[in-house]
Amino acid sequence: MTRPVPLHRLPGPACGSRRALLRDSANGFGLLALSALAAKAAGADAATGPLAPKPPHFPPRAKHVIFLCMQGGPSHVDTFDHKPKLAADAGQMAPAAAGRAGRAALLAPRWKFSQRGTSGLWVSSLFDEVAAHADKLCVINSMATDLPAHPQAFAQLHTGATQFVRPSLGAWTLYGLGTENQNLPGFIVINPPAAAARTFGSAFLPAAYQATRVGRSLAPGFAGRGGGDPAAVDNIDSPLLDRAAQRTQVDLVQRLNASRLALDGGSSPDTEGVIESYELAFRMQDEVPKVMDVSRETKATFDRYGVGADGTDGFGRQCLMARRLVEAGVRFVQVTHGNWDQHFNLGTALENNARQVDRPIAGLLGDLADRGLLDETLVIWGGEFGRTPHSQGTDGRDHNNKGFTLWMAGGGVKGGMAYGATDDYGYEAVDKRMHIHDWHATILHLLGLDHERLTYPYAGRDFRLTDVHGTVAREILA
Amino acid sequence: MNAEQLRHRRLIRCHVWVCGVALACAVVGTATIAAGRAADAESDLDAGRRHWALVKPVAPPAPAVGDMAWPRTDIDRFLLAAMEQAGVKPVADAGREALLRRLSFDLVGLPPSPDEVREFVADTSADAVDRVVDRLLASPRFGERWARHWLDVARYADSNGRETNVPYPHAWRYRDWVIAAFNDDMPYDDFLKAQIAGDLLKHSGPTDQAHKIVATGFLALGAKPLNTQDPRQFRMDLVDEQIDVTSQAMLGLTLACARCHDHKFDPVTQRDYYALAGVFLSSETLYGTGPQLQNLRPSTLIELPPDAGLPAAVAPLAPADMARLEREVEELSRQAETVAADARAARRDGRMENGAAVFVRVRAALDRHAGAKSDLDQFQADGTPRSLAMGVLDLPLPVDSPLLERGEVGQPGAIVPRGLVEVLCAPDEPRNIGVGSGRLDLAFWIASRDNPLTARVMANRVWLKLMGEGLVATPDNFGIMGMEPSHPGLLDHLAVAFMDDGWSVKQLIRRIVLSRGYQLAAVHDAGNFAVDPDNRLRWRMDQRRLDAEVIRDAMLAVSGRLDLEPTPGSPVARIREDRQGMIRMLGRSREAAEDCRSIYLPIVRDQVPEALAVFDFPDASLVNGRREESNVPAQGLFLLNDDAVVSLARSFADRVGRLPGTTPDRLAAAFAMALGRPPVRAERAAIEDFWTDFSRRHARRLAAGGGGAHALADGRHPAESLALVAYCQALFATAEFRHLN
Repeated sequence: MTRPVPLHRLPGPACGSRRALLRDSANGFGLLALSALAAKAAGADAATGPLAPKPPHFPPRAKHVIFLCMQGGPSHVDTFDHKPKLAADAGQMAPAAAGRAGRAALLAPRWKFSQRGTSGLWVSSLFDEVAAHADKLCVINSMATDLPAHPQAFAQLHTGATQFVRPSLGAWTLYGLGTENQNLPGFIVINPPAAAARTFGSAFLPAAYQATRVGRSLAPGFAGRGGGDPAAVDNIDSPLLDRAAQRTQVDLVQRLNASRLALDGGSSPDTEGVIESYELAFRMQDEVPKVMDVSRETKATFDRYGVGADGTDGFGRQCLMARRLVEAGVRFVQVTHGNWDQHFNLGTALENNARQVDRPIAGLLGDLADRGLLDETLVIWGGEFGRTPHSQGTDGRDHNNKGFTLWMAGGGVKGGMAYGATDDYGYEAVDKRMHIHDWHATILHLLGLDHERLTYPYAGRDFRLTDVHGTVAREILA
Repeated sequence: MNAEQLRHRRLIRCHVWVCGVALACAVVGTATIAAGRAADAESDLDAGRRHWALVKPVAPPAPAVGDMAWPRTDIDRFLLAAMEQAGVKPVADAGREALLRRLSFDLVGLPPSPDEVREFVADTSADAVDRVVDRLLASPRFGERWARHWLDVARYADSNGRETNVPYPHAWRYRDWVIAAFNDDMPYDDFLKAQIAGDLLKHSGPTDQAHKIVATGFLALGAKPLNTQDPRQFRMDLVDEQIDVTSQAMLGLTLACARCHDHKFDPVTQRDYYALAGVFLSSETLYGTGPQLQNLRPSTLIELPPDAGLPAAVAPLAPADMARLEREVEELSRQAETVAADARAARRDGRMENGAAVFVRVRAALDRHAGAKSDLDQFQADGTPRSLAMGVLDLPLPVDSPLLERGEVGQPGAIVPRGLVEVLCAPDEPRNIGVGSGRLDLAFWIASRDNPLTARVMANRVWLKLMGEGLVATPDNFGIMGMEPSHPGLLDHLAVAFMDDGWSVKQLIRRIVLSRGYQLAAVHDAGNFAVDPDNRLRWRMDQRRLDAEVIRDAMLAVSGRLDLEPTPGSPVARIREDRQGMIRMLGRSREAAEDCRSIYLPIVRDQVPEALAVFDFPDASLVNGRREESNVPAQGLFLLNDDAVVSLARSFADRVGRLPGTTPDRLAAAFAMALGRPPVRAERAAIEDFWTDFSRRHARRLAAGGGGAHALADGRHPAESLALVAYCQALFATAEFRHLN
């Protein structure tokens, strides 16, 4: 058995063999270095480099993560947090416990909850298809995050920090574990929201750990309603050169880059980032189109994900692609669905959103299970916060950071479980409160990483995803 | 108080600030907040006034330094004093080639030509750098570069974005005004005043008046929820966006969220918000756009004085065309009436029909008519184009806004008199507006020596663009949640000098680039790095990624294709304002662009040209004082495979192929054209290896297969030309081409 190695004692990627090679290359050992680069390009030497697989701290429960990110803050009291008293007291002024005493009326959940599966987990009718997998879900009803403002909470969901630019969960995962397929990015975001680069960036971690974007979204700051074209990988083929000739061209680019690095004293994160990105880009040209091409999936699979069906096609394709990527060895895949910010028009807008994702997510869970991938793939679902039990206007709910719901499935978590609880109205987490830091700690734990040991030295101290916080919720481990 | 309470309180404070309200109460610290209830507003304000950014800057004397020989300017004394204190030593000065390349890209956004490099390297006179700086500052290319920094902050775009992405065919006038303002070195206080209240300022004649009205486009360019049903809601959203952009861009404050906050600690600042809201509500925002299904809030535009002599965006219409357009409008009007009448009749008679289909038919007919009408409205009766602009004008009667509970229009509270932000005013200074909307008061209050933020915020913006990092690392947020300045004395020194120089941006830039701190090499130093890995102390120049526009412009310049005389106006100006225009606009923005400088490319929100988007062009709906610098494979794929890049590489290769000398000479010359320096020995070897290898193994095969081969102008062998194109493209693709050392 591999002995756990504290990661911060491993040679850091920024000072590893790659740099030494490049420095040598500029000093006249160029061909040697380049042959090493070329060998890596051919996938023959995957054992070195920042993306090479690394041993976890302890045996992992999950090897991959699919993060189904619902941007905007989905209402928990209308979906996965069953609050009979909220329904019973609807119309009454919200008591102090529900936030704005006397100023806003409690708003009943609009959709009927019922118990699902053999576990009897409560799920509303908005997620009937996901509910068919209730016995696979671990629903965390006691989530909390620091601030009820989108940009800060969205950043915290991904990076743990509200204010500073910090590496994202996916970047930390890649840094901790590397990735299995050296010809694909290890961390992929499909249709990311515009202007949210920090939520999938590597910050002070080496650039190799940031996400690769696939496809593009249409609305600023929002991931869109599964619009955009998830299969759009731009510029994947040269109009001028074939692969062999292009390799010769890229070798020149890399030798010139190596020379620049040497001229700059052997340390330039920017130049090193470019060097890494070319190698990845070159390999991606061949691999990505293959993985992204869903055309040979069966009709049954398409139906399962809602591909081709009105409303679910966009997100369904993205979920299907997420499965294909994980199957191909990608470590961390994020799929984002936007516009869950129902300040008004809750009745129709939330239902529309749910309809767009319910079948695709159910399809994904079922497909992963059938392929034996769910055991090693942790699926996580949720947004940056939840919504208030009281109404905003007549048909909306405001932001609620004090209590909300996220769920997990597969990857070593207990199925059919509701963990923690909010108060009677769903306003504040009162039982087994799980802050985002705890959630991050738990996810890393499932991946075999100790959140206190997964550190990176920067600006004079060791940073970690959970800062000085985070407790693993051991109760949810299968 | 236990730890949990403390944490909670801290969070409340953060939250309060984040929503922009808490300037006052946040700096008070725990003392007031710990009481847990409404604090004394006056003492909050007093405490707020003590936040460093709200104390008026006073130029401190330059500090004493140990190494008297190193500093060249006062800036250097501030930098060196801090370095000496930390035990850090500045690295060596940048080499001549690197310095010229840095100055050229920073000041005009274009690479120096090899001749300019040779001349500068050879020029050992004491004022060689000064003269280069003055030449660059005087170049019309300067405004084209520096206007773009302001356009980032002003969230400039040629379309609305959001749910209804209709064109803004007249936005370009504002863009061109900003370019001219930077080229003319318009005093920054005047520059700000014109953008807030240009329509109300004194003017020297119709041209001046027209320019000042165009400047108010700043307030009209935002992304708007044009599909909002409720006109009051729309107006408040519009005003909110104006408060947001004005406060962030000019004051480095995020006041906008004070709109909905109903917390009890600081009622004054929510009043501030609605006092400011009254100022903007008393003005009419005119942004054009034609009515259509998703656009429930179209507006008109401002017609500029016809004798102002401003350029037109479209060509005049011949009488026959004018007549045809008039007939079309009439015909479409008739059609729309007929379709609507049919629908009414059908409903009256109870004839069964698909309601949605009828609605769409009626709507489409109305849209067609509205579109043609807005086309016609672009012209005078005689077919000459009207000069139209986006902007704001005062309403005849000013209004005060009620304070809206939680920002909801349905919950109006007490009326708040129009006014300014209290915490930023001296205790006894009158804050309320007497006559008019108050925009003029607002303009003079912001663009004032007495405002503690304005000069600091701009000095910091300029520093950030030249040094890669701001003295305040959060350029759009000087509040309590922003970062503290790394060199407070230097920031104040720059702010005061900026004002003393008559708010001259060119002088401010000159001052910074002539400092030794700016001219340091971008090299690594292990000892310094151990102490200050982030280079907060400025012991070296940071290596920077060039902005998207600069990378594209540099490729155009190096390939000899850069067109410095763009067609006046904007491609968006030459399409219709209606839905048809929107569709065409979206299609066109993906087409191969012109070879103009990137600042003239139309910025259609959410459809930013790929060459810009791939290199982190910011979200054009938000204030962006700093850009991200990502480093992702998509950039490599773009440079290796994009058609436009390959086309530029061909042009570059054509140019290189015509150079005199041997092949190695030409390859070295191309290197210098692209990177501003000759190749070093290892690079010459790499180039030679490439040339041999590529020619031997690939060129002939590909050329024979017709793959990508093309004949050069001078009829060289296609195989050799292909190798040259591949080589030139490789130069574009190097890290150094997109980095500034």
